[in-house]
Amino acid sequence: MPHDASVSIRPPVLSPRMRRVLISVVLAAVCAVWIYPLLWMVSASLKDNAAIFANEGLIPERPSFENYVRAWKEANIGSYFFNTVFVTVGSVILVTIASSMMGYVLGRRRFVGRGLIFALIAFTIFVPQGYTIIPVFDLLTRMGLGQSLWGVMLATCGGSFVIFVLLFAGYFSQIPNELEEAAKMDGVSFIKTFWFVMLPLARPIVVTVVVMQTLYAWNDFLLPLVVTLANPSIRTLSVGVYAFRGENFIDWGGMTAASTISILPVVILFLFLQRYFIDGLAGAVKG
Amino acid sequence: MTGVSLKDIKKSYGGLEVVHGVDIEIDKGEFVVFVGPSGCGKSTLLRMIAGLEEITGGDLKIHGQRVNDVDPSNRGVAMVFQTYALYPHMTVDQNMGFGLRMNGTPKAEVAKRVSEAAKILQIEELLDRKPKQLSGGQRQRVAIGRAIVRHPQVFLFDEPLSNLDAELRVATRLELAKLHQKLAGSTMIYVTHDQVEAMTLADKIVVLRKGRVEQIGEPMELYENPANLFVAGFIGSPKMNFLDLEGGEGLTFRFKDASTVALSGDAAAQTAVLGLRADQMTLSEPDEGHFAGTVSVVERLGDSEFVYVTTEWGQELVVRVPGGTNTQMGVLTGVVLSGRTHFFDGEGRSFPVFRSLWTKADINRG
Ligand SMILES: Nc1ncnc2c1ncn2[C@@H]1O[C@H](COP(=O)(O)OP(=O)(O)OP(=O)(O)O)[C@@H](O)[C@H]1O
Ligand SMILES: [Mg+2]
Repeated sequence: MPHDASVSIRPPVLSPRMRRVLISVVLAAVCAVWIYPLLWMVSASLKDNAAIFANEGLIPERPSFENYVRAWKEANIGSYFFNTVFVTVGSVILVTIASSMMGYVLGRRRFVGRGLIFALIAFTIFVPQGYTIIPVFDLLTRMGLGQSLWGVMLATCGGSFVIFVLLFAGYFSQIPNELEEAAKMDGVSFIKTFWFVMLPLARPIVVTVVVMQTLYAWNDFLLPLVVTLANPSIRTLSVGVYAFRGENFIDWGGMTAASTISILPVVILFLFLQRYFIDGLAGAVKG
Repeated sequence: MTGVSLKDIKKSYGGLEVVHGVDIEIDKGEFVVFVGPSGCGKSTLLRMIAGLEEITGGDLKIHGQRVNDVDPSNRGVAMVFQTYALYPHMTVDQNMGFGLRMNGTPKAEVAKRVSEAAKILQIEELLDRKPKQLSGGQRQRVAIGRAIVRHPQVFLFDEPLSNLDAELRVATRLELAKLHQKLAGSTMIYVTHDQVEAMTLADKIVVLRKGRVEQIGEPMELYENPANLFVAGFIGSPKMNFLDLEGGEGLTFRFKDASTVALSGDAAAQTAVLGLRADQMTLSEPDEGHFAGTVSVVERLGDSEFVYVTTEWGQELVVRVPGGTNTQMGVLTGVVLSGRTHFFDGEGRSFPVFRSLWTKADINRG
């Protein structure tokens, strides 16, 4: 464009303020659709079974906590809660430590076969979980863990392990070599360098992994369902909730109350960690 | 006493040799600067001394002990990186003490050494800050502090000033010179591609090119008596002017135009190139110099002026004249060769043996 070309200034159709309002309204509508099932669940948990299908809207007319009491006592939710906490905390610790260490080596060390390992790891992402449940169960049984909570916990570590390793590898590969070399000059061992220098630097990824693994372990259904088929006492919450489905009758009130109890901890966790979590994901993406 | 000794040190990456047998002797307490153009192997050499790169061949000795296969932390060396390499999540205090703490030094001792180093570097009030909250120059000090607390016998610096702006670079350069005096007895090896840093800091300069040592010597020694064209051109600012000579009759040589110059002395016949620094030539009336040229640019620095003269054969020379001379651009001028002249043969080597003779060389206009 030549320098003297005149630029015509068109007034915008909507003022910036109007545009913001419009966008907010649209987004709010989308959000409402998104969150409706959740609201329905919470609402149903406060109604009795008859009221749930009486089409009375989301706000219960006579809210009661009876469903919660029933869910906690009769359906054993208390002990399932403990099982789930055990599986979640155990798998989060194992997964975070193991995936960060693997990611560290894969991301920062050049060794023969590294490309192959990366390719194999990446390949497993494409194998659907359903296909591996039976072999995993078989493996647990052979290890004598088929009937124990430890088995459920170990199996739950599988989930998105590979993705976590890749996240860590990507992050660690960008940390400048000099940091590691400085530690080396200081005589700091490989393990200590990892633990005191590298892992703290990877905090955004650590938080991401902790949150994602927590969500996964807490909500996973298929794997614990299969592993605990023969042993109801080691069921996790998500499986326990499913048990409200009787032969002829589904206790919707109890089921939604149990569901609400079961998602409460992860919602709270997310509220506390969302800033780190979002930072971590953004960091992992923008690199 | 020898501090660090390199004997026929070689380095290959895969099949590619990048350092081809380097011999350097560094005395204890000396400030040695490795200087050379980008890619000449300075960093590689320094990192081999540090223990961060494996040594492909040769012997590296520190205080008389062969340390080729000794861990970096056990060599008594500490390194300051170009990018500072501070641990971002630790405070200045923790950064400096990290190595000591990890190796089980008692807390009190760590604290003592950190505060000692902080005092030397005048960063005491920064101890609680994170690296992000520091300026470039302050980070640089912390990086040096991290080296000092280890009480190393040898300090290694890889272009420590190159991330600083021009003014700070000069200031920090001075600080480094002072630091070397305060830490008397510790050897310092310093890598840079900036010959000014080399000249100002070094007790001894090692000029490297393409993985080989071109010359080792004191700064003024290299300036006065460069071993070859490369060193002559590399050391000193502005760059030395080189005048190619073409064979004439006997000891009379021709420049690229018709002007001639007569040389005398034993090795005169082998002379192929004359080297003159900017202050070893003067300007004259167009027909009174050894040859003539046109003034293309004048840089006025206040106390002096650099006058760029394009000769009749199209070469650009730089001549230093006193400030306020007010040379005009575009005018025709004569160039007189005067003062000290350097002589190089066809291979680019200077004539060290006949040096004294040549200083008195009689250069006449033919
Ligand atoms: N890891 C490596 N693999 C292969 N070649 C390398 C490697 N590191 C350095 N080199 C080569 O070795 C030579 C010397 O590199 P070095 O980093 O020592 O140069 P330098 O003198 O420090 O240069 P600069 O002033 O740019 O830092 C270069 O030609 C470089 O390409
Ligand atoms: Mg370098």
